[in-house]
Amino acid sequence: MDKKTRDILITSFLAVILGLILSGIMILFLGKNPISVFALLFSSMFRDGYTIGEIFVKATPLIFTSLAFAFTFKANLFNIGAQGQFYIGSLAAVSISLLIPHPIAIVLAIIFSFVLSGIWGGLIGYFKARFKANEFLISMMSTYVALNFMNYLLRTVLIEAKGEYPQTDSLARSTWLFKIVPGTRLHFGFILAVVVAILVWLLLYRTTLGFRIRAVGQNQEAARMSGVNPELIFVFTFFISGGLAGLAGVTEVNGVQHMLLQGFNPSIGAIGIGIAILANANPIGIIFASILFGALHVGGTIMGQISGVPSSIIDLMEGFVMVFVIISYFVRNKLEVNREKKLLLEGDN
Amino acid sequence: MLVNLLSRAIMMSTPLLFGALSEVFSERTGMMVTAIEGIFLMGAWAGFTAAYISGSLGMGLLFAAIAGLLVAMLYAFITVTLKQHQIVTGTAINILIAGLCAFLHRVVFGVPLSPLTVEPLHRIAIPLLSKIPVLGPIFFNQNILTYAMYLLVPFGFFVLYKTSLGLVIRSTGENPEAVDVSGINVSKVRFITVMVSGLMCGVAGAFYSIGYLGMFTTNIIGGRGWIAFAICFLGNWNPIGAFIGTIIFGLAEAFAILMQSSSSISLPNELFIALPYILTIVLTISRKSFNVPAKLGTAYIKEN
Repeated sequence: MDKKTRDILITSFLAVILGLILSGIMILFLGKNPISVFALLFSSMFRDGYTIGEIFVKATPLIFTSLAFAFTFKANLFNIGAQGQFYIGSLAAVSISLLIPHPIAIVLAIIFSFVLSGIWGGLIGYFKARFKANEFLISMMSTYVALNFMNYLLRTVLIEAKGEYPQTDSLARSTWLFKIVPGTRLHFGFILAVVVAILVWLLLYRTTLGFRIRAVGQNQEAARMSGVNPELIFVFTFFISGGLAGLAGVTEVNGVQHMLLQGFNPSIGAIGIGIAILANANPIGIIFASILFGALHVGGTIMGQISGVPSSIIDLMEGFVMVFVIISYFVRNKLEVNREKKLLLEGDN
Repeated sequence: MLVNLLSRAIMMSTPLLFGALSEVFSERTGMMVTAIEGIFLMGAWAGFTAAYISGSLGMGLLFAAIAGLLVAMLYAFITVTLKQHQIVTGTAINILIAGLCAFLHRVVFGVPLSPLTVEPLHRIAIPLLSKIPVLGPIFFNQNILTYAMYLLVPFGFFVLYKTSLGLVIRSTGENPEAVDVSGINVSKVRFITVMVSGLMCGVAGAFYSIGYLGMFTTNIIGGRGWIAFAICFLGNWNPIGAFIGTIIFGLAEAFAILMQSSSSISLPNELFIALPYILTIVLTISRKSFNVPAKLGTAYIKEN
């Protein structure tokens, strides 16, 4: 293992630990013993096969929203609208699955969610390319538009047959993603997420297109000089990014909830960004970072039910971890610079 | 009816102006305060909690400002001192603050059986001025923060364009090397500007909890910080532009509230709720020329 990889692993690990310690101090404010709370957190995660399965269930959509952020990030673009793209994907998945109560709906849901949320995201890239609009702002605002669009549809055309609550009917069993481990809720979506993450890695690091995307990220004007059309890259990366976030809609609708309701997974977009930061926007790293965050969620939820520690401690923990991860970027850079200085000095002698 | 709508528009534009003006000043030094959404939320929580416990709205505003300042200092430490990425840092801080506010609210108040409320800031009618027909009730029957807004716009314009401090702020975003050569510490200028922005954004957040609703919920800000952030862009990094932008958004918000409460309109509610966000997108796309500070979003690294 080279020194750089070692630095990444050690500093990231320390960042996670420091984040947890700081959250532990916050638990003191509740008048509870942080050590016993953490012991409970970890034992809750691995209580039985079901909770272990839940870790991967929770990690699945996070892999997608995190990949969505990481993908545009490689082109030095900011898609912070994964939450809205996820809603569009969810709407597509639920509509198709309700219309066609047949296993073929799963394939169609995957295709349509990817394409529709890809177009929703691709528009951001188009606005950036055509009007030089700030993609950061537009992607942020597009989430609120998508949210209200979803709420409107849930209240009108998609409302359940009873017409009581703003939610859809349950999906026919034939359109559910099949379970891969009996006795848990772990479904095919997790495998899909891992495969997609690997495909994204291959696309970014083993194809010419991926090289062009990263070239635009490194230096847009230099890329243009060497014949890459950055505007085309804007639209393409945002299309893929939106599509990736939309796939989270399929795994959540067809794999977990089997319906769509208001207030559906309201923070997976934001947490996805945090995971991408933790994983240094590396698609393979994202798989592992998502599992870590999934584990925190599962442990935290059970802990909240039995010990009375509010589950908002999870967001707090994730927030602290992210802040320390960013600080660890600084530390890592310092280590690297020191090492180079040392090499230079040795070279002089 | 119309007077009522316009009066409400002016009121709703107040926190947006506080936020947008803070962004104008920080961004002129090259610093986007992308933690603005979190700072608003922190201010809303701290303001509500201090006001609820002390029974004084003044204490609420004070603590909101302090809380905003603290979050801004964390942001400035990471982005200015450690020179890390502004958008990434802001996103992390926003998530942290969302968790922190929910957690602290629970620590302080437990799980209350009925919603906790405080009496929000009341309107102060200015003698004589508020008696002017039409304009009086719109502009001069507002709460204290809105009056502060009237003063902040010309004050901000004056500081930015007519003082040497304003010159330093503007140069720091355009040409930090020159500022550095003239013996002024670039990092210090940026750090302090972000701190002052934090103070103002904390108060802006408190406007939502104790200035208007009289209560706190964890989704009370709901993207308003980002709208203030957007207004700074749309207003071309100029206090007057920011003021015009906030009035437009205040109108949109007041209009949305009016439409939601009137039953005669057949358009969906959700459209009106989404209106300010749609407006931001449309304006961002249609705005042709921008006067972006040259070094916006980039850390200043001194050559050795």
